[in-house]
Amino acid sequence: MNQNNTNENKFFLTDMEENQEGIIISVLGGRMATKRLADLGLTPKTEIKVFKKAPFSGPVMIEVRGSKLIIGLGLASKILVKLK
Amino acid sequence: MNEKKKLNIVLAGQANVGKSVIFNYLTGLHQHIGNWPGKTIEKAEGTLFYKGYTIDVVDLPGIYSLTTYSIEESISREYIASQKPDFAVNVVDAVHLERNLLFTLQLLELGRPTVLALNMINLLKERGIEINFKILEKILGVPVVPIAAIYRKGITDVLDRGIELLNFQSPTPQNRLKYGKEVEQAIEILVEALEGINTPYTKRWLALKLLERDGEIEKLIREKNSELLKNVENLRTQLEKIHGHDSSIVIADERCHLAFQIIKEVMKITPLKKISLQERFDAVTAHKIWGYFTMTAIMASMFLVIFKFGDWLSGLLEIIFANLQSWFETISGISVLASLFLAVLKSVLALIQIALPYILPFYLILFLLEDWGYLARVAFLMDNLMHKLGTHGKASIPLLLGFGCNVPACLSCRIMETERERFLTGILTVFVPCSAASVIIMGLVGKFVGMYWAFALYVFAILIIFVIGKLASKILPGEATELIMEMPDYKRPSLRTIILQTWFRLKEFIYIAGPLVIISGIIIEGIYWAGWFPFIDNLLSPISVKWLGLPAITGILLIFGILRKELILVMLSTTLGTANFAQVLSPIQMLTLAIVSMLYIPCIATIAALRKEFGWKKTLGVTVFKIFFAIAVAGSISKILSIFL
Ligand SMILES: Nc1nc2c(ncn2[C@@H]2O[C@H](COP(=O)(O)OP(=O)(O)OP(=O)(O)O)[C@@H](O)[C@H]2O)c(=O)[nH]1
Ligand SMILES: [Mg+2]
Repeated sequence: MNQNNTNENKFFLTDMEENQEGIIISVLGGRMATKRLADLGLTPKTEIKVFKKAPFSGPVMIEVRGSKLIIGLGLASKILVKLK
Repeated sequence: MNEKKKLNIVLAGQANVGKSVIFNYLTGLHQHIGNWPGKTIEKAEGTLFYKGYTIDVVDLPGIYSLTTYSIEESISREYIASQKPDFAVNVVDAVHLERNLLFTLQLLELGRPTVLALNMINLLKERGIEINFKILEKILGVPVVPIAAIYRKGITDVLDRGIELLNFQSPTPQNRLKYGKEVEQAIEILVEALEGINTPYTKRWLALKLLERDGEIEKLIREKNSELLKNVENLRTQLEKIHGHDSSIVIADERCHLAFQIIKEVMKITPLKKISLQERFDAVTAHKIWGYFTMTAIMASMFLVIFKFGDWLSGLLEIIFANLQSWFETISGISVLASLFLAVLKSVLALIQIALPYILPFYLILFLLEDWGYLARVAFLMDNLMHKLGTHGKASIPLLLGFGCNVPACLSCRIMETERERFLTGILTVFVPCSAASVIIMGLVGKFVGMYWAFALYVFAILIIFVIGKLASKILPGEATELIMEMPDYKRPSLRTIILQTWFRLKEFIYIAGPLVIISGIIIEGIYWAGWFPFIDNLLSPISVKWLGLPAITGILLIFGILRKELILVMLSTTLGTANFAQVLSPIQMLTLAIVSMLYIPCIATIAALRKEFGWKKTLGVTVFKIFFAIAVAGSISKILSIFL
């Protein structure tokens, strides 16, 4: 989880484009948020796909485990993913 | 078993999987149904008689986990674990089986007899999904029953399998589902250490919750054997070292992995050749540009349809009722009883003629949007704006519901995560013009001043909500939590559900508003006969006449309007003896009256809902604020308009 690792394949969820697919590396948020995401099936190594992004720094709608979820920008910017 | 055959069952599962549909079917009650997560906010109970059994059924709020982070989660867990229902029905959305299994796995760990109701199987085919129920049953070790709740298919099979489970006295299902090696080892150590400690929970479940850092369970164990917690801490650290995450995430991760394994064995998905209609809708309604465009279009056409329909129907009813009244007048003759009856008849007819034509299409359209799944899309589109008001996107759901009725809207504020956000959202919802206020906006302003004026009033109401939200978020400081919400798939709306829900609303309307207009009518008649009108008018006229520029009679009507807002207009027509309001009110007066009615106070039922959710103090604060705010705003607008008009 070292931030200075400039691996080019590491993104934050917010940086992904619509229809891009990725794999979650880790969630940098607090325990509470991490747990809520995990309850919905967002754990490390989970495959996700960005379905829609709302404009004006709105939330991200993703597809995960066959369901859709929306995640607010603040939280999405703490989810580290690598592109598939 | 010859004693009274009583059973206790509980419906548990993730949000929006159809628990309440099943509950309503079993008990004949009317829990709120719709296509967004979080409708049921409190456990509901009902009874059913089935094959000689008296079965108490409990509908629980949808939850995603049995770890206590939210109120709903602790309520549900408490209930399942300590009330010891005879069996639990785990309702599961078959289309989203993988995510749903995450909860199922936790529920099974509780070790209570469970039947898995695999709901929405009617949708599997069109999604290209096949599920092997038999294998799923074998893997999970509990009965799996495919059902289609809205088509009332398979629900009794669930009961049959549950009863069978009890009668065979099968031992509590031995959970054969295993996590990864390290986790299982840790569990084993803890289960041994927990020997001799008495709790309502199974040892394995306790061990897991301890590893997951569940605060409540930790406390429970600390009371009994605090030494053990050191042991737990060691095990957690070990797990965290191996996996590199917090131990609660390690367990969640294991669960996800297990669910994935199960899915691989039981589910087969054939990719669809063409994109489904609902998927296309999703692409448009959540689109960066088109999403906002469709949202505006939906709102505007909703307004137009309701207005046009209401206008047409109330015009039609006016003709019918006028004939009915004159016919009654000719046959009844002149007597005290007849005139009393006539007064009652008039007020009931006025209620039907003035309010119903607008309220009916309102509910039909709202329930249609709700059952289709549109509300959650608005939450997605509005998240950004809602952050400016100190909450997040989910708050738009209570706000939208508020256009129907503020009461369920206030209650649904529970979908917000924190106390502060709940209250903020609550404040905003009571500024939403409900269908009763809309009766006045459309039936008075729309009809007699102009449709665009009515439309402008809605825009005005939304602006006010924005301003109030800004203000309130300044007064109640704090960060908004981040939006996390599952997005329900669009579903073909079920006509039956829409009509049934509308019908219950209308029934409520008739049962409550009906007697209220009659009683208010009689009281006003009484005040008139007692000669108290001048006194009351004098008391209120500084505000109603001097400041707002309204006729004196409106003062007392606004007081009755606290009971229900449509009463203002209905009673106005009965006291004036005409539904042609243009004869007695100027356009500015109509606009002013509409603005006051829209803003001036939450109705009694809403006040009660506010008190239930937020306590007396806050409710009183909001109510008093609204009264002053409405008087100030409406008066100023009336003054400004009189310069221009
Ligand atoms: N197609 C289909 N839709 C269903 C079925 N059962 C329920 N639904 C729909 O699923 C949605 C959710 O149903 P509810 O009963 O309100 O769900 P719930 O589990 O009580 O939800 P919460 O109270 O929010 O936790 C509604 O829109 C129902 O019409 C089914 O068998 N088939
Ligand atoms: Mg429900």
